[in-house]
Amino acid sequence: MFEFFSEIKWEYLYDFDLAIDSIPFLLQGLRITMIIAGFSMVFALLIGIVVGIARMSKLAIFRLPAKFYISFMRGTPLLVFVFILYYGLPVIGIEFSSAIVAAIVGVSLNFAAYLAEVVRSSISSVPKGQWEAAETLQMNYFQTLRRIVIPQATRIAVPPIFNIFMDVLKGTSLASVITVQELLYSGRLIAGRTYDSMTMYITVAIIYWLVSVVIGTIQSKLEVRYNRYLAKG
Amino acid sequence: MITVENMKKTFGDQTVLESINFNVNKGEVVCLVGASGSGKTTLLRCLNLLEKPNEGKLKIGSKQVEFGKTKLTKKDIEEIRQYSGMVFQGFHLFPHMTLMENIIEAPLTVKKRDKKVVMEEANEILQKVGLVEHKDKYPDALSGGQQQRAAIARSLMMHPEVLLFDEPTSALDPQLVREVLKVIENLAKEGQTMVIVTHEMNFARRIANRALFMDEGYILEEGPAEKVLTDPREARTREFLALLEDE
Repeated sequence: MFEFFSEIKWEYLYDFDLAIDSIPFLLQGLRITMIIAGFSMVFALLIGIVVGIARMSKLAIFRLPAKFYISFMRGTPLLVFVFILYYGLPVIGIEFSSAIVAAIVGVSLNFAAYLAEVVRSSISSVPKGQWEAAETLQMNYFQTLRRIVIPQATRIAVPPIFNIFMDVLKGTSLASVITVQELLYSGRLIAGRTYDSMTMYITVAIIYWLVSVVIGTIQSKLEVRYNRYLAKG
Repeated sequence: MITVENMKKTFGDQTVLESINFNVNKGEVVCLVGASGSGKTTLLRCLNLLEKPNEGKLKIGSKQVEFGKTKLTKKDIEEIRQYSGMVFQGFHLFPHMTLMENIIEAPLTVKKRDKKVVMEEANEILQKVGLVEHKDKYPDALSGGQQQRAAIARSLMMHPEVLLFDEPTSALDPQLVREVLKVIENLAKEGQTMVIVTHEMNFARRIANRALFMDEGYILEEGPAEKVLTDPREARTREFLALLEDE
């Protein structure tokens, strides 16, 4: 037991000098990560709302494609889907202008499916009485959705949406596989050059974690805001 | 005001309303009474098409629809609903809006009326139901009785020709029932046409012009509220009233 610990080369655990020296380079990678994550969150949410509402439609022409889309995207690994986009599509003559664009498209389309499920479940969790009250006040479907249901569904949806946003952030690291020079890719470059994988990947991990803490803080702020109409305790 | 002819409603193979005929005149207060499962709530919900009857005719205001022959259009439903307002057992106020926001919502969103004018009117109506000092609170901060009075105010803002009440006091603590009944009673005095599903027999006797006693999907007995709810003709009605007395 103690022999195991004594064999560990603690002096190689973390090289602070290297970590600090590499930060400017890593931050350039982080910029790309944030671009992919930011666009993907927005697009995924927009697509998710549309697909989620279509999934609840009474009309099969909306409901069934939405159902298929969600099933396919949830049932395939993001990495495989990104490969289809970036390596597969050029075979049939469709090429993305850059790997970043391919990454944004892949991450958005994939996470949109999860968000669609959140949209659907949070909208259906708004009590039926709310729809009926709005109906008897002569509000139409979209007025009811926009003014009554979505504001209430949003409160319920915030925590799961932000869980997915954190997955989006982490999911962008797969873009490194298709040569996008984002945070993980940048870390890998330095790790390859310095042979200090431990220091570099711990540093990269900490940067992802710090960004996720910021996302979590935004989530808490929103939760307070959306819960303001509930009686305390 | 309302005319119902041969209305029939089934859920699956279960018949809930069996050839219902009745009418409500302008300014009249009609109470629907009967045991649970007798179809009174379903009948009320058929009057604003929250439930779609399978057969028969419904005329409300100057709009008439016929069921079972052709499919109801969105326009039919809209036109029928513009004549009525509804107050639910469970209030169904919009929890994310203050009282004021709750009651000005439909006039602004649906009727696109001027906000200032609507706010003034809202203040008057809130005064009438005794909630002016609570207008900036969220429903969750109010008692059930206050919520129900707010819900009544909300439907009044659309100036319904007829107001439908679905057991408006059944979800309330006993000490809160009176304040809600008082508001309804005042509306009756003002000549508001109302159809009320209720178990409050004393209240019904006092304010209703007519009572309909429903049993297993039929209107078994109909007449002046005093008569039907005090000295009914039918044995079933007497049984029902006796059961309520026992409670």
